[in-house]
Amino acid sequence: MNTDETHAAQAFLTHHDFVKGVALKYAPWPGLVEDICQQVFLEFLAKEDRWDVSRDLRPLLATMTRHVAMRLWRERTRQQPEVVQKLAEHIRQLAESQEAPPRYEEEIAVLRNCLQKLPEKSRELVELYYYNEVGTPEIAEQINMRTDTVCRALSRVREKLRECIERSMERGGAAHA
Amino acid sequence: MPEVDTLIQRYLEGVLSTDEAEALHGLIEANPEDGRRLLRHLEMDAMLRASKGLTNGGMRAPMLLPKRRFTVTTVAGVAALAACVALVGGWIGSGLIESTRSESEATTASVAVLTRAVNLEWESPAMTVGTPLVPGVLKMKSGLAQIEFYHGARVLIEGPAEFELVSAGEATCTRGKLSAQVPPQAKGFRINTPKGTIVDLGTEFGLDVSSGTSEVHVFKGEVELHPVSDAMRSLKEGQALSFAGAPTSLAANPLGFASLGDIDSRTVDSQRMELERWKAKSQILNEDSALKLRFDFQDRLGSRSLMNQAGAEGRNGDGSIVGAEWTQGRWPGKGALEFRNVSDRVRLSIPGETKALTLAACVRINGLDRVFNSLFMSESWGDRKIHWQITRDGLIRLGVAGSGGDRHVDYDAPVFFTPERFGRWIQIAVVFDPTAREVRHYAEGDLIARLPMKDATPLRIGIAELGNWNDSRQKGGVAIRHLSGAMDEFALWDRVLRDDEIARLARWF
Repeated sequence: MNTDETHAAQAFLTHHDFVKGVALKYAPWPGLVEDICQQVFLEFLAKEDRWDVSRDLRPLLATMTRHVAMRLWRERTRQQPEVVQKLAEHIRQLAESQEAPPRYEEEIAVLRNCLQKLPEKSRELVELYYYNEVGTPEIAEQINMRTDTVCRALSRVREKLRECIERSMERGGAAHA
Repeated sequence: MPEVDTLIQRYLEGVLSTDEAEALHGLIEANPEDGRRLLRHLEMDAMLRASKGLTNGGMRAPMLLPKRRFTVTTVAGVAALAACVALVGGWIGSGLIESTRSESEATTASVAVLTRAVNLEWESPAMTVGTPLVPGVLKMKSGLAQIEFYHGARVLIEGPAEFELVSAGEATCTRGKLSAQVPPQAKGFRINTPKGTIVDLGTEFGLDVSSGTSEVHVFKGEVELHPVSDAMRSLKEGQALSFAGAPTSLAANPLGFASLGDIDSRTVDSQRMELERWKAKSQILNEDSALKLRFDFQDRLGSRSLMNQAGAEGRNGDGSIVGAEWTQGRWPGKGALEFRNVSDRVRLSIPGETKALTLAACVRINGLDRVFNSLFMSESWGDRKIHWQITRDGLIRLGVAGSGGDRHVDYDAPVFFTPERFGRWIQIAVVFDPTAREVRHYAEGDLIARLPMKDATPLRIGIAELGNWNDSRQKGGVAIRHLSGAMDEFALWDRVLRDDEIARLARWF
């Protein structure tokens, strides 16, 4: 009975939002966070006999995530045209220079409530774009609007969610809001 | 050239042209605020991508072996198009979109369950009744264990024994005695031994794999024996065969094997003894001067209060039962309260402040239906109140509120309450240790998490509830956080219990 694997997997799961926060800092490339998180998970499990899962795993996971994030970020951006590579590098430096620690872990916990507070149309847009993976040109075509309009609408939805999260965090976060 | 929001969106979507990339680069170089804005959108974009399983009332489902859980689920184009059409209606009128989201489902590798145990001593890691069993070896020193395979076969094993679960319809016995009941639905159930394999054709039989002996006895129906070095033999009711060496026919001897009737009567005796042992240990526990509150749930049936059994001076008051109904606890004769409704709770008060704290409870969790499932929570929040709870993911959390405007801190143990642990009585404990500056979580007496304490300021529990939460600050409605399950013991000390004390408590509790 391989209970260790289960323990290691469970220990990782407890921290996977933390891992995503670190991944975002070192690899700010769209859609890459999930891949980094999965890769760290696999590497963590591959060496599970080395870890004491009863201890605080964050320092270990932070180091592992940083290495994986930088590796995958390099692989991903290398395939891009030079001008996009320069932009990506600039964004990466900006993200790394942020002094505040990653707050992803705390913020994702309150996102659910904030999503429920969105106006119906905004929620539907999130459903379409993020959950049903319909691109902005297709959404624009279906609703007979310009793609720019849909882009701005998505931008506003993200800003509203950001404001809602900030307000919730000021009140004490998800568990106690 | 599109404006900055559109460029950011196109960057997030991965469709920037080289001209647009150059333009966006120029914008964020010239205006650092645009760069920060892009990062904020990038972070929110990542969270929204990850929030797929968080919406529609569903946080992430607990998973036992979630190797591929992070893979993004793609949705069929037809469904996406249908959703698009719905959006048209929604933007023009007020139509709602049916979600086409597919969520990850929890999985289990278990193939059988331990349903009875009498005086069982384990050589392999101990299992309690109700434990789902995954393929692997079970080693028993002594006692009786009844295992029910998911395909329907029921096997009663007598220790000492070594028994390997292979699948829901197959096992290997290398040492020990067992009897098996195989209903027609489980026909084809196989038990391998070092000397041969028994294939059951819907029957009851006994198997003895002791040193130098391998015997199969058929009590009812028919089995096939496939000896390692001989041709297959068919054995019918009343027949037995020794097959360690040259096959020798015998008469079946049902009295040589424990029967399911035996385990029924021995289970009752064993449970009665457990209850008596627990009562005797309870007396000792109650005398601890640091024990401020202990509910043993042995109050008069139908009582609407729980009497505090702590014998110490300065003990806290009794608890008041609201809604929750009485049910059976770990053994017949042991009381428990069932929490299943939004109103179910036990209200109590812990006045003053405490520097150190140990909480312990014996609970049976039926499911984790809510985002936060209360074990023991101070009313409202703030000013060093505590929330001991289980999250929907199955992790055990001690939340401690900050004081004077400081942020709260959540001390989380790893995910513990997976679906395999639902429906079983489990003892859990948490220790707030300001001297070691640690919060420690325990389950079944084992340390499962040791977390550095961020703020050792004394705690102020105040009015609190078992199995629920009330927020007196809210006027429009209180978040639903009641427990779905039962509790049959709860204790609170204003001192730190050591690891060995918690381990002993798990045996006593």
